[in-house]
Formats: sequence, structure tokens, C-alpha cells
Amino acid sequence: MDAKYLALAQMAVGGGLMGMAYALVAYGFQLTYAAGKAVNFGQGELVMLGAFAGISLSGIGLPYWATVLGAMVAGAALGWCIERVAVRLALQQRNEGWILLTIIVGLFSLSLVENIWGRDDRPYPTPWPAEALDFFGISVTWPELAIATGALGIMTLVELAKRYTMVGIAVQAVSADPDAAELCGIRSRSAISLSWMVSGVAAAFAGTVIGPVTTVGPTMAAALTLKAFSVAVVAGLDSGFGLVLAGIALGAAENLSGYVLGSGWREAPGLILLILALSLRPQGVFGKKIIRKV
Amino acid sequence: MKASRSILAVLLATSFSSVALAADVVKIAITGPFSGGSAPMGVSMRDGVKLAVFQINQRGGIVVGGKKMKVELVERDDEGKNDRGALIAQEISSMGDISAVIGTVNTGVAVMGDKYYVEKGIVKIITPAAGSASMTQWSKAGVKDLPIFRFASHDGIQAQMVVEKALRLGFTKVAILHDATNYGVSGRDDLIAQINKQGNKLKAVAVEKFAIGDKDMTGQLIKAKAAGAQAILIWGIGPELAAVASGKDKLGFKVPMIGGWTLSMSNFIDTAGASGNGALMPQTFIEDESIARAKPFIQAYHKAYNVSRIPSPVSAAQGYDAALLLAEAIHEAGSTSPAKIKVSLENLKVTVKGAISDWKKPWTKWNPLNVETHEAFRRATTVMGKVQNGHVILANPSEKFVLEGATTN
Repeated sequence: MDAKYLALAQMAVGGGLMGMAYALVAYGFQLTYAAGKAVNFGQGELVMLGAFAGISLSGIGLPYWATVLGAMVAGAALGWCIERVAVRLALQQRNEGWILLTIIVGLFSLSLVENIWGRDDRPYPTPWPAEALDFFGISVTWPELAIATGALGIMTLVELAKRYTMVGIAVQAVSADPDAAELCGIRSRSAISLSWMVSGVAAAFAGTVIGPVTTVGPTMAAALTLKAFSVAVVAGLDSGFGLVLAGIALGAAENLSGYVLGSGWREAPGLILLILALSLRPQGVFGKKIIRKV
Repeated sequence: MKASRSILAVLLATSFSSVALAADVVKIAITGPFSGGSAPMGVSMRDGVKLAVFQINQRGGIVVGGKKMKVELVERDDEGKNDRGALIAQEISSMGDISAVIGTVNTGVAVMGDKYYVEKGIVKIITPAAGSASMTQWSKAGVKDLPIFRFASHDGIQAQMVVEKALRLGFTKVAILHDATNYGVSGRDDLIAQINKQGNKLKAVAVEKFAIGDKDMTGQLIKAKAAGAQAILIWGIGPELAAVASGKDKLGFKVPMIGGWTLSMSNFIDTAGASGNGALMPQTFIEDESIARAKPFIQAYHKAYNVSRIPSPVSAAQGYDAALLLAEAIHEAGSTSPAKIKVSLENLKVTVKGAISDWKKPWTKWNPLNVETHEAFRRATTVMGKVQNGHVILANPSEKFVLEGATTN
């Protein structure tokens, strides 16, 4: 392959792999939105807290896989807490304004982390080999590969559970119509709570696989959250598969435009894509148009 | 009536006592980033200054006009942010009782904030910020009387050394990578000016920038690699430098990184790990106890802060020596007034023995046409350091004599 195209391919692949990180964080948005129609504006902070939980476990000598598991447990607990503290009230009041409480929870955790761990970025130790892998001249590092396989893995698991387990089907029922689900004997409150826990797990997991690439610090997820949110909006808030495609597209577009137009233009195409997608398909590129019959 | 009289007496007594207290201390402010990406430099500088001040106070303080006065420190964290730095400069310059300021790591902070000190005539020793702009801004403005002094090997010297090194290693084509801050941009300009000055024997085949917080440098590195760069000349701070080092590894682009002294920051060395080995940068100080002059300082620092490695040895040693020089100037001025301290900094009589060198009249009367008048370091007092397995060592062991050196200027 010509060196010029090889360089472009390298940029696209690297960007696409990072785009899987956007998709993974976006998936967390989608999970809570599907269940209770509530968006967690503190999702990025959950990712960051997950990474810090992992790095602390790593600090006491646990191996990488154990830090990932530990962070996921912490993520589940945090997700449950946020639902209990900030979201349930909002849903009961049927008032979207209350959902802004999730921002407050996010800001609070930011200050908490700054006070416990300090403001400095630190490396996340992993067992991956330092050498990059070579696919037809395109280099891919192990941490990048971990993000991609991890994102796909956890999303596949959750999607399968949603379709083929009793609990998953119950959550889907609540997502479709909470009142009807209640009439069938499903406790919608528990289903929503569970979704928040799973969303917390996804976020914390994201923190532990993204951390080795970005280093871990209180603001590590600030930019990531915004991009994940765009990915979620572009893909539509109910398509898991769409998220992956939108994430890859955004990551690759960013990297390519940064490469071709100069590093100052990295963020531009993502925003243009977002505006285009919203103007052409307001329900999201992969979203279903929901027709409500009254 | 009686009660009010006794209250009055107490008030009078306390007000007198506070006046008496204020007269017995010299107040010095330390500013710098104690958190964020530049923190290793800010914290080390602060702790170096504090170590010197602790030792001075242990001896009873500075003798000012025949009276021993203790040094009291005021610390402010500017987080490496220009706007915050400017606010802090405003605050300190309006405190009224600050004799001098030591600090600033980020060139942008000096550019935004130092005007407040100049307005009020407050003495400031800039260390370890190295960006050329923090001094050249005053020569450009034609300021006649400047209370700002620098105690760091400025980027002019550093760029000269980096280009010299690249030439000595036999390179002809290099890539220049820099961050988009005042520091990075002025570093790029210094490098290009130096390449020009040293006869254009080097060719900058790629000039690429990156932003603070960028983690993926593949794009910039692919361009450098495609252009056939044999080395990367780089100006940035720890986290982004580490991202460049690991990006280089990812692409199998095995060329040396030569750059500003920030390549010695602990957050570069730790995050880059093995990818950082071999990076070359100018240093004014090496944390090596086999250097007799440096040994007492290194040991005192390790003991005082309970560490086995100084996060940024250059910043710590410069902070320490700057504080010693300032203390001598206050002593020679015989006053805590900034105007008098400024004059005595420009005319230091006694040679100050520091951790880096013996400082003999490091500064002279400010001349806007020659920034060197307020610059303490010269090319001859700076050496090349190299990252090796988590530490910075002398790139060329034969340069050890520079750090042992007897007299500067």
C-alpha cells in the first residue's frame, strides 16, 4: 500500500479504536435512558471514579483483571447510589429538572476525587506487552485492542442478557411502558435501579480499559463524556449496534481531520456530523421513530 | 466605663503586638502550579525554597540592618493556568507587606501576571519557567526599571543546546513538535531561530503542534516519520511528552527525543516508562550524590520531604538557590523594601554558595536592550541530561565538572 494511504489507514484505525471508548461510555447513557428515560449527566465522573477505584486496587498489589472486576463492583454500587439519591425523586415528581441532580452528584465526586487522590494524572498499570501489534503495516497497541474487545464484549453480554433472561425482558418491558409492566407484576422501580447498576458497571469498566491509554486523573472523562453524548444522540438512544458504528465513525473522522487539516481541527468534523445527523434524522441515525397512539 | 477602658487597653496592646510581629519578619511569596500537569516542577520548586527558608530560619533568620528577621512564606497555587496566575499576582502585589516573590513554572502565567508586580515594583525571581517570552516581554515594552529577575536556563540557551546536540549526533533532518501554549510556541520559534543561527545545517522537515491533554500523537508522528526525521526536537510538558514517547513506540519510530528541560519531569519519566529512555534535555542540576556540591542539598531534600527521588530536581535546586540569593540580597539591602532589594539583587557583593553553583553577581542593572542583564544562567552553566530507567543522568559524564564548577559569571 502507498505510504500516504497507509498513514490515513493508520489514523482511521487508531481513531476507530478510540471511538469504541466513546461507544462504551455512550452505552452507559443508553442503558439508563432506556429504563427510566433519564440521562445521567455524571456518566463521565462514573468512568473516572471507576478508573480511580481500579488504580487504587492496583496500588495494593492486585493484578489487572482483579482491579477491573473490583472497579465494576464499585461501579454497580455507585450506579445504584446515584439512582437512589438523584434520579428516583425526579422520576416520582415526573419533572425532568430534577435530573440535573446527576450533575451535582458528578461535581461532588469530582471534588471528592481531587481531595483524595489529587489533581495529577497517573499511569494505570497493565500487564499488556509494550510492543505494538502490526496488521499489514498498521500498528495497534494492546491497550487500544483492550478497549475495543472490552467494549464489544460487555455490550454483547448486556444485550444478550436483555433479550434472553427473565430480568432482561422485564427491564425491556418497563422501558416500553412502565405502567403496563407494573400491571403485569413487574416492579418498575427495581428494573430502573438495575439498569442504573448495569450502567455504572459499564462506566467503571470503561474507566479501567480507557485509563491505560489516557492516564487517570479527575478530568480524564470530561472530553470523553461530551463525545460519548454526541455518539449516543447521533446513534439514537435505543440502538446498541448503532453506538458502535457511530463511535467508530466519530473517532476515525476526528483522527483523519486532525491529520489532514492539522491538529487544531480534530474536533470539528464530529460536531458537523452531529448537526447533520440531527437535522436529517432527529430520532438518531439508527433510532426507531416511535409512534404513540393515544 | 471600666470595662470599655480595659477593652481599649487590650485592643491597643494587640495592635501594638501585631505591629511588632510584622516588623520582625520578612514576607516572601511562592507561586506556582502545585497541582495539574506542571505540578512536579511547581511542588519541587516550592519545596526547594521552603528548605532554604527553613535552614535560614533555623540560624535565626536574615540579618537585616543589624537585626535578625525570620522569613515568613505565603504560598499560592496557580494550577499552571494563566488567568489564575494573573489573579494571584494581583492579590500578592496588593498585600502591601510582601518583600519578594519566587516562582512561576508556566511562561503564560508570567506573561499574564508579572505586570502587576512591575506596576507595584515588587521583586520577583522567576524560577523555573524557561520560556523566552517572560523576559523578552519587558525588553519589547522598553521597561526602564525592572524588578523581575530570572533564575532558570532560559529557552534561548536550551534551544541552542538542543540544536547543537542534534548536529553533534550527525542529524540533518529533524521534526519539531511543540504544545500550543506560550511555552511550546516560543520554544518552537527559538528552535527555528537557532537552526538558522547555526548555519541551517539541520532541516526541520515537519513542524507539528499538539494541545494540552492530547493523548494520541500518532498523526504528528506519522508525518514526522514520513518526512524522514532522524530526531524529534520537542517543547512541551510531562503528560504530552509521555504521549509522544509512547506514540513513537507504537509506530516503531525509533528516533531520539531531544527537547526542553521539561523532559526531566517525573510525570514524563513515570508515564512514559521504558519509552522515555534516552530522551535528552538541558539541565542545570542533576540528582546525583556523587557530585560533591549537590550532595548536601539532595540529602537534605530527601530527608525533609521523605522521598528517594525529587520530582523535578532542576526546579528544586533552582528554588533553593534562588531563595539563598534573595536572602543575601535582603541582607545586603538592609531593608525589606522591594525597591532596595531590587537594587541589591542587581549588585550582589557576596558570592552565594548554592546547590548548583557559586553565584557571583548573577544579575546586573537591567538594560531593556539586553535581557541577559536579568538572566542568571549562561550556556556554560547548563549541561545535557538523559533519561535512564526512571532517573535523569548526565548524558555526557565528562560534563560533571560543570556542576562541580566553582564560580558562575
